[in-house]
Amino acid sequence: MALTSEQTASQANGRSAAHDAYADTEFPTPYLGRSVRIVDKVVNVDMQQSPHPKNQRGELGKPLFNWYHNTVSKDPLTRVSAPNHFADRRHFLSTVINQAAKGAINSRQVEVRDPAVMTRHIKAVAHYMGADVVAVAKAHPSFLYAGGRYVQDGSAQDDYESKTPEALVRQFPYILVATTAWDYDKLQAHRHFIGDAAYHVSQIKGNMILKALEGYIKELGYTALRGVAIPQAAGVASGVGELGRNGLLINKHFGARIHMPDPIMTDLPLVPDEPVDIGVDDFCKICRKCANTCPTNSITFDDKVVHNGVEKYKINWLTCYKLRPYVHDHWSSCLTCAAVCPYTKPNVWWRDLAVWALHTCPYVARPALVHALKWIDDRFWGVTRNSRVRWLDYDSGVKPGEHACTVSGCTASHSGQEQEVVGEFGFYAPLKENTNRFVKR
Amino acid sequence: MSIVARKWPWSKKDVHRDDPYWDFFIKTPPADLTNTVTELIRNAPAGNVFPTKTDIHTPEIMSQHVKDMARYFGAEWTGIAKLESHDDQHPDGYPFAVLCAVRAEYEPRVSPGIGGQVPVQNGLFITFVLSAWIRELGFRARVESQWEAKTLAAQAGLGRLDAEGRLVTPQFGTKVYIADAICTDLPLIANG
Repeated sequence: MALTSEQTASQANGRSAAHDAYADTEFPTPYLGRSVRIVDKVVNVDMQQSPHPKNQRGELGKPLFNWYHNTVSKDPLTRVSAPNHFADRRHFLSTVINQAAKGAINSRQVEVRDPAVMTRHIKAVAHYMGADVVAVAKAHPSFLYAGGRYVQDGSAQDDYESKTPEALVRQFPYILVATTAWDYDKLQAHRHFIGDAAYHVSQIKGNMILKALEGYIKELGYTALRGVAIPQAAGVASGVGELGRNGLLINKHFGARIHMPDPIMTDLPLVPDEPVDIGVDDFCKICRKCANTCPTNSITFDDKVVHNGVEKYKINWLTCYKLRPYVHDHWSSCLTCAAVCPYTKPNVWWRDLAVWALHTCPYVARPALVHALKWIDDRFWGVTRNSRVRWLDYDSGVKPGEHACTVSGCTASHSGQEQEVVGEFGFYAPLKENTNRFVKR
Repeated sequence: MSIVARKWPWSKKDVHRDDPYWDFFIKTPPADLTNTVTELIRNAPAGNVFPTKTDIHTPEIMSQHVKDMARYFGAEWTGIAKLESHDDQHPDGYPFAVLCAVRAEYEPRVSPGIGGQVPVQNGLFITFVLSAWIRELGFRARVESQWEAKTLAAQAGLGRLDAEGRLVTPQFGTKVYIADAICTDLPLIANG
């Protein structure tokens, strides 16, 4: 694994004083599985410097600012389910949920004798409410934002805002990660309103579940903080998945098609889960399917780098973000890297078999197995996706910008629309050759 | 990864029997209603109707689309009832009501806990997003929480009301919760 040059240099000179001081503290460096490794002091990320707040302040330029603030989507379902492209804010459920007042903590605390029983209970509760993946992470100061709280389109102010990450971790040692997965069949029409629908509807459902779960923890008599922890870090630590080349968490059952919403930090006594090994590290070293198909070339072909003390694959988030205003007429969430990932498959026995094979395979034999699985994936699912998906009156076989009613049996007169004859393949704009302006390979 | 009790479909075993907190989850009413999502969504104001009407298909196809959309949001069954336009109860003259049913393991009326209200929560999610979608299509839609949705669901053909006023259905028995009716003027075809 190649490290960046400055990192290699500092290691050659022996461990730095800062690093030693860090290693001696009461918070030992957490093990995050094979895909991510903390190798140096991690500076807590200021959430005001993350992409969406930057764009909200207009620091990413006018086109992106206008895309974020002043665009209304053409598609009725996107206007209902996607953040910031609504015609009426009141139609977007996450606005209602995130801007709600915080409930009070129940003064009659439920006694927890065995944290394992409570862990089983809270996971059963989350699944009962509709979450697809639930896990508990042991909190670590490096998982937390530097200051303030971050919930998109809302607020999460609480009494603990002035506390340092270390103090917060001492008081609230667990992070509950509960999340939803989106639909596999609709994801096949990613870069289309169909894929958007799959993504955004499961996202607002997940927001609602997390809000209900937060309320339930407060009813149990414990504190629940939102907007505190970085979801990816908590997800890796709790074994929701491993971090892939595409910067997404890759889950055992759903692949990359899971949301990473804001987790709940709590003092409810729980038993934390361990990071998992499903062979993502070995797969990403070889596969590079996401890097090949990314419309903006934002995903690296190179090895892992050390970024802010964490060794991982680093994507270029700015070029990824900059694609959005260009494609706003046709779709709003790209999802290409999630859709082409070989781990993203329907949740059936043969994908369990493949993941199990990767999990049990000795490390030295894994490259051969990965090559075999990659060949199967290319052969049967294609190097890029171009399947045609129809859902309601959406049809990914209709070229972007053209109108056609392809609903069978529809006799309604559609003004100014000719019935188009389309092939059995999907049109997913923009095609790769149109987007090389972002980053030249 | 997660420890979830699973059971066979024919098993009568209570999967939550070993869980000492499950009863609290289902039965104990929340001390602070702000901690529930149901109150929040129920009290949220409705948005505006989108000024441009979307190009729609025939009523048969539109009712199928509404049903598919509701199914996608999590409804187990969706029905459309015709409303009497001259009724005093419906002064706005909405011609149709859309009814969505979700599975309810515990009767929400007698289980006031956050867990007992999960079917209500799921129902509110469906009615909120579905009515917002209809308004974004350019047609009027309103969620009517005051109406007896069960009667309308029986009218739309989901099942029958028994002597105690419970809805009995062939698919789910009585373990069903009918979400608030959405009345709309989207051109649809009523069930049955």
